[in-house]
Amino acid sequence: MKKRKITALLMSLVMVCSLTACGGKDTSTSQPEPAPAPADNTASQDTANQDSAEPAAPADAAQAADITLWTYPVGSWGDSATVDALIANFNAVYPDIHVTVEYLDYTNGDDQINTAIEGNQAPDIVLEGPERLVANWGARGLMVDLADLWTDDAKAAIYESVESACKSSDGVYYEYPLCMTAHTMAINRDIFEAAGALQYLDEEKGTWTTENFQKAIQAVYDSGQKNVGAVYCSGQGGDQGTRALINNLYGGTFTNPEHTEYTANSPENIKALELLKSMDGINFDASIAGGDEVNMFCNGTFAVAFCWNATQEKNNMEQGNINFDVLPMAFPSENGEPQLCGGIWGFGIFDNGDAAKIAASKTFIDFMANDETQAALSVKASNFWPVKDLGNIYEGDELMSEYAKFIPYMGDYYQVVGGWAEARTAWWNMLQQVGSGTDVSTAVEEFVTTANTAAAK
Amino acid sequence: MKKKQTKHVDVYKIISVIIIAILAFTFAFPLYWIIIGSFKTSAAINSATPQWWPEEWVLDNYRKLFSKQTAELWEISIPFTSVSFAGPTVPAAIRWLLNTVFMAVAAMILTCATSAMAGYALAKKRFVGRTLLFSLIVCAMALPKQVILIPLLREMASLELYNTIWAVIFPIVGWPFGVFLMKQFAEGIPGEMMEAAKIDGAGEWKTFYTIALPLIKPGIGALAIFTFINSWNDYFMQLIMLTSTKNLTISLGIAKLQAENATDFGLIMAGAALAAIPIIVVFLIFQKYFTKGITMGAVKG
Amino acid sequence: MAKQNPMSKALVRRETIAGYAFMLPSLIFFLGFVVYPMIQCVYTSFFDATMNREDIFIGLANYKELFQDKTFLGALKNTVVIVIVSVPITCIFSLWVSSVIYDLKGFACSAFRCIFYLPVVTGSVAVAVVWKWMFNNYYGIFNYIGTNTGLIEQNINWLGDERFALGCIILILLTTSVGQPIVLYVSALNNVDQSLVEAAEVDGATKFQCFWKIKWPQIMPTTLYILVITTINSFQCFALIQLLTSGGPNHSTDTIMYYIYYNAFKLYRYGYGNAMGVVLAIMIALLSALQFKMAESK
Repeated sequence: MKKRKITALLMSLVMVCSLTACGGKDTSTSQPEPAPAPADNTASQDTANQDSAEPAAPADAAQAADITLWTYPVGSWGDSATVDALIANFNAVYPDIHVTVEYLDYTNGDDQINTAIEGNQAPDIVLEGPERLVANWGARGLMVDLADLWTDDAKAAIYESVESACKSSDGVYYEYPLCMTAHTMAINRDIFEAAGALQYLDEEKGTWTTENFQKAIQAVYDSGQKNVGAVYCSGQGGDQGTRALINNLYGGTFTNPEHTEYTANSPENIKALELLKSMDGINFDASIAGGDEVNMFCNGTFAVAFCWNATQEKNNMEQGNINFDVLPMAFPSENGEPQLCGGIWGFGIFDNGDAAKIAASKTFIDFMANDETQAALSVKASNFWPVKDLGNIYEGDELMSEYAKFIPYMGDYYQVVGGWAEARTAWWNMLQQVGSGTDVSTAVEEFVTTANTAAAK
Repeated sequence: MKKKQTKHVDVYKIISVIIIAILAFTFAFPLYWIIIGSFKTSAAINSATPQWWPEEWVLDNYRKLFSKQTAELWEISIPFTSVSFAGPTVPAAIRWLLNTVFMAVAAMILTCATSAMAGYALAKKRFVGRTLLFSLIVCAMALPKQVILIPLLREMASLELYNTIWAVIFPIVGWPFGVFLMKQFAEGIPGEMMEAAKIDGAGEWKTFYTIALPLIKPGIGALAIFTFINSWNDYFMQLIMLTSTKNLTISLGIAKLQAENATDFGLIMAGAALAAIPIIVVFLIFQKYFTKGITMGAVKG
Repeated sequence: MAKQNPMSKALVRRETIAGYAFMLPSLIFFLGFVVYPMIQCVYTSFFDATMNREDIFIGLANYKELFQDKTFLGALKNTVVIVIVSVPITCIFSLWVSSVIYDLKGFACSAFRCIFYLPVVTGSVAVAVVWKWMFNNYYGIFNYIGTNTGLIEQNINWLGDERFALGCIILILLTTSVGQPIVLYVSALNNVDQSLVEAAEVDGATKFQCFWKIKWPQIMPTTLYILVITTINSFQCFALIQLLTSGGPNHSTDTIMYYIYYNAFKLYRYGYGNAMGVVLAIMIALLSALQFKMAESK
């Protein structure tokens, strides 16, 4: 009996202990390693790097810090092997800054950052685009102003369209960009060829007009491919594809030029939606998301994919998912001069109130994006293109050279309007409504009202 | 058990068994598909024409699962110091499995211990405020955790438990269903036995331990299994409370194994198969005890 | 309680101390991680609370907005539909299956029980992935069977059609929730006093009478227990919705649980999300109290 009593007592004691242990210590339970550990780690890494780091390191002792980097799957930045190598390069120069990486996905990533913010454990650095860094977290005052990274040199080097996307409407820089791409669509060349639809597009330039797009889709449909493409609208990622498609068809815009208001209810956009609705072979499908569409394009269910870019082709080729000829295409537009949606990825820093960590984070960003030898490696890891002139970093890479022709078509980066998260959900809902037969102008009007209310908040 | 053989052929029964057998296929199908799928090539999984049996068996998905991320196998830190011991570095999936087992077992032990005591008190002790407490428990029993999600997150943050496995365990332990269940069991303890123990000079603890506990053991078994499986599947709480790769549970880890706009189903299936196997083994081993335990609970409830 | 003599007063005190001592460990967790957050939840629901800003007191504004919010009302309706449909079906279906399989010889009963339990242990993430494929609009198994047997004329976009999506979610929910009730019913039916059944059979009772008059009263406690756990499970249906439909198409699968989550972590409207939580908690508490009263009266 006594023994049991003691066991019970001990158990409750352990419980209380574990409680206080977690409560009492300053985040150490949650941080991967307490202070002494990283020193060991970096030391061993140093020796691995033949000590060359020590004399070269310009970092003083004050720079020593533990920082966390959370990445979305931007190319291979979502892959630990690649990122570990990049960080090893960084630690060769800055051995005292210890970087812990977490990998997010696009389904749960936002929620995880949002809950982490509420849980006082937001990451120091996050790798994503302006819609999140600037329009979402930046606008809520959670991010650090990156003005000291945006030196005059940086401003001169980085393309202007990219620069404007990285700052908020009141001119504060919340993102330091690393790479970019132009999102395209793609067609199954084999199917198009068999249907005799290749005559409607300019294979060389990768462009087509709205009229020819209709003819081509019709030709493919008539050839027996009943599902040519899908306006996927189940939610989550890949919204850029549907936006670019609808905006380009008749030259509509998603927001006004000042990026303060959503303009998806313009006559051009309504006309585009009505056209898509009426086309044979194009389904508004609320059961699939962008990722599903890509899978179903690869397995031959669809003949076109609207959610596409170079990385998609590279990954799916590597996995052996594609056994046909993929032809990347710009979105169709009336005059054949598309305005593609860009993706701009870069770093932002969460304001965790620790000056040392912020300084270390800036050092990290500066190294990754600006270091002479590192910058090209960092960009290549993303499998996208640099945001400034780094020379031809994809020399000899056939796939990347093929997609490079779309970069000049990159249009205005409008994803910096407030209320981004709410607007995106409303966008999917609008497409779902159109798909289920609601009048286009009613649905679009509802979207614009919801989105603009969110933007005004 | 003596049962009379029915002489005539029971048509209703035969038809029913056939229907149930067909339904059983649909119930077994997801797991079959996951296990089979985890050995297929990426192209075969994404194919529009299903392969009911893989044409080519590959281990790629498991290889990917085990090479994608790594974590230390364990980390033990001594309270109030900065001393900590980290285990060897292993594939993250192994760590997730360990986390999940730890979470489920810890939740199970804590729930059973606290509920057994509380249920006994509610059933057998006539103390002030008993009725009020019991009504509170009944009302809170069916409360979905989503309802208190935001305050819970803020609370965990201020206790600095956010992003630790305890943030998932404690709300499970706090959930009063176990207390309710144990109370129903403890009602069945005969009063005379307790009186007898008291006359023999046994203290409160001894009475509980020697008289009550053996009698409610089946109930504890039922609660243990129920808690174990429920916490294993508690995807929602895990999603909210855990962020670091090393702190994830297996189901959350699987959900996160996705690349940009392209779900790698092979990877998910490999992860899911890995996650399902331990719990199926637990089910098979404890099946007998399992069904017995739950039944007792239900009959008494 | 009894106050006739000092003895019982001392006894009451002793009982109270002992009672709370036994309750203490459980109470710490219950009060700390259920009651306290619930109070916070009620409190915050009167505020405009969001990320990185002081909460602003706005009185009942959240509640006023709530009952004008069409999406919320829709989500409320969907939640109720899920519970009302899935709870009775789960109970009846599992009772039927159990009544057929419980006296099967040898291996068969155990095998069936095990198979019906599999979806419970497979985990919702994995189950969702497979079902999504089975419901696929273009090459899913349901459309394949349906069109080939002539049950449906053309492919149905199960998860993408407002008319079917909620039904599909409920169907998947059912497969993941009948496992435990079947296990329970099989054991309960095996524990039914066989001599009573035989006596009734001798008296010429039909099978149905046998079941209704003798077996049913004996498995009644099991049924109540199953009702409680199934109701809890149905209210908590979240992962399936998050992974399969995100509440769409057209909000047709939005549930309160999903909508709270959406408001809290996509829109950062903590106060509003909490107000929804309070409304739901009141509903559930009433329902639980009702169920419990029913259980008591039996």
